[in-house]
Amino acid sequence: MADLGPEDVGRVAASLSLPLTGDDAVEIAHRLNAFLDALAALDALPLEQVEPWPTRPEGIS
Amino acid sequence: MTPADDDVLFAGAARQAALIRERRVSPVELVTAYLERIDIFDVRLRAFITVCRESALAEAVRAEAEATKGAWRGPLHGIPFAVKDQVDTAGVLTTSGSALLRANIPSADSTVVAKLKAAGAILLGKLNLTEFALGGTIRFPYGQPRNPWNPDHDPGGSSSGSGIAAAAALCSVTLGEDTGGSVRSPASYCGAVGLRPTWGRVSRHGCFPAAWSMDQIGPLTRTVEDAALLLGVIAGYDPKDPLTSRSTVPGYCAALANGAKGMRIGVITELVDGSDTHPEVRGTIRDAARGLASLGAAMEDISLPLVPLSGAVFMALCDSEAAGYHMRWLSERAEEYDQGTRRRLVTAGLIPAAAVHRAARARALIRSQVLDALAEFDLLLAPTSPHPAPAIASHTAPLTSKEQAGARFFGRRSYTTPASLAGVPAISVPCGFTAGNLPIGLQLIGRPMGESSVLAAAHAWESAAGLSIRRPAIAVA
Repeated sequence: MADLGPEDVGRVAASLSLPLTGDDAVEIAHRLNAFLDALAALDALPLEQVEPWPTRPEGIS
Repeated sequence: MTPADDDVLFAGAARQAALIRERRVSPVELVTAYLERIDIFDVRLRAFITVCRESALAEAVRAEAEATKGAWRGPLHGIPFAVKDQVDTAGVLTTSGSALLRANIPSADSTVVAKLKAAGAILLGKLNLTEFALGGTIRFPYGQPRNPWNPDHDPGGSSSGSGIAAAAALCSVTLGEDTGGSVRSPASYCGAVGLRPTWGRVSRHGCFPAAWSMDQIGPLTRTVEDAALLLGVIAGYDPKDPLTSRSTVPGYCAALANGAKGMRIGVITELVDGSDTHPEVRGTIRDAARGLASLGAAMEDISLPLVPLSGAVFMALCDSEAAGYHMRWLSERAEEYDQGTRRRLVTAGLIPAAAVHRAARARALIRSQVLDALAEFDLLLAPTSPHPAPAIASHTAPLTSKEQAGARFFGRRSYTTPASLAGVPAISVPCGFTAGNLPIGLQLIGRPMGESSVLAAAHAWESAAGLSIRRPAIAVA
């Protein structure tokens, strides 16, 4: 997947009424691309086989 | 007693409480001495946002009068404590480290503060933190918190002031809040003890949320014994927090005597030997593992291959929760946020929902891996952080690439977030120093509700290592 640029970030943020000032769009693009790369790596995991699980760890009543 | 009586001021609260009961130290002396240390050292360290000078002295006078009559409120009678400014205190400014809440004065105490007061403790003040406990603050609205071992270095976060105040002896004990490592990270960087209890063990009522599914209040102290003492006071079911457990609160202090003998402890190889781990940290942690073996624990390496993904998975979930909470303020009061916080929250608001849900599924896999390991081992061992406290300037510089962003935000968090994602208890205890005299933290992760084992092993290690006698030489501003 191609990296998002500051212009892409600016457009989507504006559509969601999320504020951007100064160099925000440049740095947010770096942050967002880092997230998308890291989360894409999860595709190698068997995520579709995950069973529902309780919020609390086992053993807690 | 004078402020020069460092042995008393650096002693743990358990020891101080005994001295108060023996009438060898008075609550007024203790509070006065800590206020003097705050005046001297906190100009530079900026651990406190608010110091409750007058009310603390008034409470100390009352505690002293009660002591004279033999009327003891509880195990913390006359002990001065401070709490992260994310936690509500009746009639006392509570900012969550943000300019947005610069006039926020709660009308009621949080449950944990009410419990500490009921046990006899005296509120000395409110402690600095990264804005809204999220980390990544560039400009702190209430002053830049600094590491007592080297003021040019980061004290860790988000419970920055709690770590500083504990390590620099600016009060007896503190509380922090740990979502993804916010108690353990400052403990590691500042050379203190930080305990993240099992999720649901301690009430979050009155605590500003970072991420509901992982937030947990915990002690930040100078000794493991104090962490056990505080946990015993603050743990338990609270009808005001429906996610707290009804499980009986065991005697954590009594369990300290159990030591580490006979425990099976798994050493997480991905975190000890991983390429991100600083060589001095790796060596010190391996030494600590050998030390625990000499105390009778059976040490064994274990591989948890999903653990390195924890940082990114955690941030996707935590930041999305936080962005959802902050969305209205972001739209209406964006300029009042710190630049680092605002960029972090806006970024989270742009992550596709499907990617967040896949992160939630990945969390289940990581959690299963951690819990499966804990079915085999009593505890898991890892560094709290891959490196000692970094220079403050190193993590406030503008980001210039996605690789830099990933390294700054995800790598370090993979060391503390496995316990957060799994909801299990974990402690950071000092285990050594770098050649540059910066502390290194040892992390022990336990089974759900297994705080007694975590504390017992940490106490055994602390006693054997004898590191608690080392104190920071704090420069005066």
